[in-house]
Amino acid sequence: MDEREDSLFEFAEFDEKESEHIAAPRYSYWKSVWRTFFKSKVTVILSLFLIVLIVFALVQPTYSGYDPTVAPNINTPEMKYLPPSAEHLFGTDNIGNEVWDVVWAGARNSIIVSFISTAIIMVVGILVGALWGFSKKMDRWMIEVYNVVSNVPYLLLAMILSYVLGAGLGSLIFVMTCIDWIYVAYFIRTQVMIIRDREYNMASKCLGTKTFTMIVKNILPYLVSVIVTYISREIPGLISYEVFLSYMGLGLGTNYASLGRTISQYKSFMTGYPHLFWIPVLVLAAIAISLYVVGQKLADATDPRTHR
Amino acid sequence: MSETNEREVLLSVKDVDISFGEGKNVFKAVQDANFDIYKGETFALVGESGSGKTTIGRAILRINELSKGEITFEGKRISGKLSKAEDREVIRNIQMIFQDPAASLNERATIEYCISEGLYNFHLYKDENDRLQKVDKALEEVGLLPEHKSRYPHEFSGGQRQRVGIARALIMEPKLVVADEPISALDVSIRAQVLNLMNKLKNEKSLTYLFIAHDLSVVRFIADRIAVIHLGRIVEIAETEELFAHPMHPYTISLLSAVPMPDPIIEKQREAIVYADATEEKTGPDYAMREITPGHFVYCTPQQVAGYAKIAE
Repeated sequence: MDEREDSLFEFAEFDEKESEHIAAPRYSYWKSVWRTFFKSKVTVILSLFLIVLIVFALVQPTYSGYDPTVAPNINTPEMKYLPPSAEHLFGTDNIGNEVWDVVWAGARNSIIVSFISTAIIMVVGILVGALWGFSKKMDRWMIEVYNVVSNVPYLLLAMILSYVLGAGLGSLIFVMTCIDWIYVAYFIRTQVMIIRDREYNMASKCLGTKTFTMIVKNILPYLVSVIVTYISREIPGLISYEVFLSYMGLGLGTNYASLGRTISQYKSFMTGYPHLFWIPVLVLAAIAISLYVVGQKLADATDPRTHR
Repeated sequence: MSETNEREVLLSVKDVDISFGEGKNVFKAVQDANFDIYKGETFALVGESGSGKTTIGRAILRINELSKGEITFEGKRISGKLSKAEDREVIRNIQMIFQDPAASLNERATIEYCISEGLYNFHLYKDENDRLQKVDKALEEVGLLPEHKSRYPHEFSGGQRQRVGIARALIMEPKLVVADEPISALDVSIRAQVLNLMNKLKNEKSLTYLFIAHDLSVVRFIADRIAVIHLGRIVEIAETEELFAHPMHPYTISLLSAVPMPDPIIEKQREAIVYADATEEKTGPDYAMREITPGHFVYCTPQQVAGYAKIAE
């Protein structure tokens, strides 16, 4: 090979460090979750609607001053059974109360009760379930506890408890949480058992990681999606359940506003003044359905397989 | 095992049985395993799938329980029930490199956490800064970049992930590393890279490896001594070149004859010797590990020793 030809070529430099470089943009789990979540316009609109609904339900009763124990218009016949109008948005009821105020005060209590109950159920359920899934010793007796508790007739227990404890916000939350956490715990236990023996957990064990750290770092991050799915079913479920218990007379007492009791009181006017019955039912449906749909969308977004 | 050998024994496996299941369904995965690993050597365990190689490796790491025998590390028993402090000491000194780099890293944790995990557990750092420096150093040692700290495992290639696995194990500064088929899940093109890295780190950090593999050419490259395991029994232990030069046990002979040759002409003439006794267990009360030539042990009866010794000549 003569020199002239040689000069046309040169050694290419190879940088070993450069070959290790990752060109892809940085990945962040939660950023991807929110990006996926906000990608759909329907979800954004529905979330805004839901936020407005919840904030309004929480704030409105403090301004309306509605108190279920007093009926200021009970002796003013012209204020009773008014149909919805610009002045009385949802109309008025059999004792002259604004249905608008009654419904929002009831919605507020339903939302508060279901959010607090869900928080308690999920925290207790996840903690117990994670330990339950990890410990074979705990599994042996917990499964028996589960078998017994899950076979107790729920409604009967709710009835007895609400008679024993009385009708208040605290006792209603207790009635709603005292059984449900074990279902969450059982669900989480099964999920934990599925991923407990995966190789990366064995690797963590070989590195001396403690069980609690393993739950927090190795197990729960994998369960975000299923937990969000569970919550998205639990909150609207508990709102409906609160309504159901109050409807049955087992929920909040008469000195609390309650959607369930409102519906139960108004059900006799279904034919004469249908707005009295349907308005609280529709408000309940609007809250429960939008919570469910937004929750499902969030659950989808927390699944990394949907991340693009 | 051998009195003539005065090297320091790091790990010793004595009469170990490991079984799974209970009662009627009991399955003996490993029977009568006996071997020593000397300080600073690479000891390879080879055998076909299901022969119990990984089971032994995991028993050393206390994942699998022994049903008989004991394992000692630096003269102290590390099998059976241990106190918490002893358990942590074992974890600190014996680390593992896993077979499948895709499965053995926590996909929801950053590389920084994956590598720091051991440091966190044993608090092997002075402060945050010191920890980050250690992680950077560990990444650099395995040829990765400090910028990878904030990345997630799924963003890496198989070879890179395996190197993260190696960095994670070695940051604990262990004395013994159990490498459970560390390259069998990797692309052929990067196997050599990982093997060379393991060799380099071994020399730099004066490590001891227990290398579990089924690929004999790989084992010949990396190991100082080899134990051949068949159906849960170790049938032959010898130094690498001695084993390849004078395989004695019929199973070893058969195994070596099955190694493919990278030369097409030789490969065509290669005749694989079938191990006829594969199904029937060659065992009995007379069978034991017997030293045929210095450092070369075969599982056999006293009558067979003379026959094997002839092969050595």
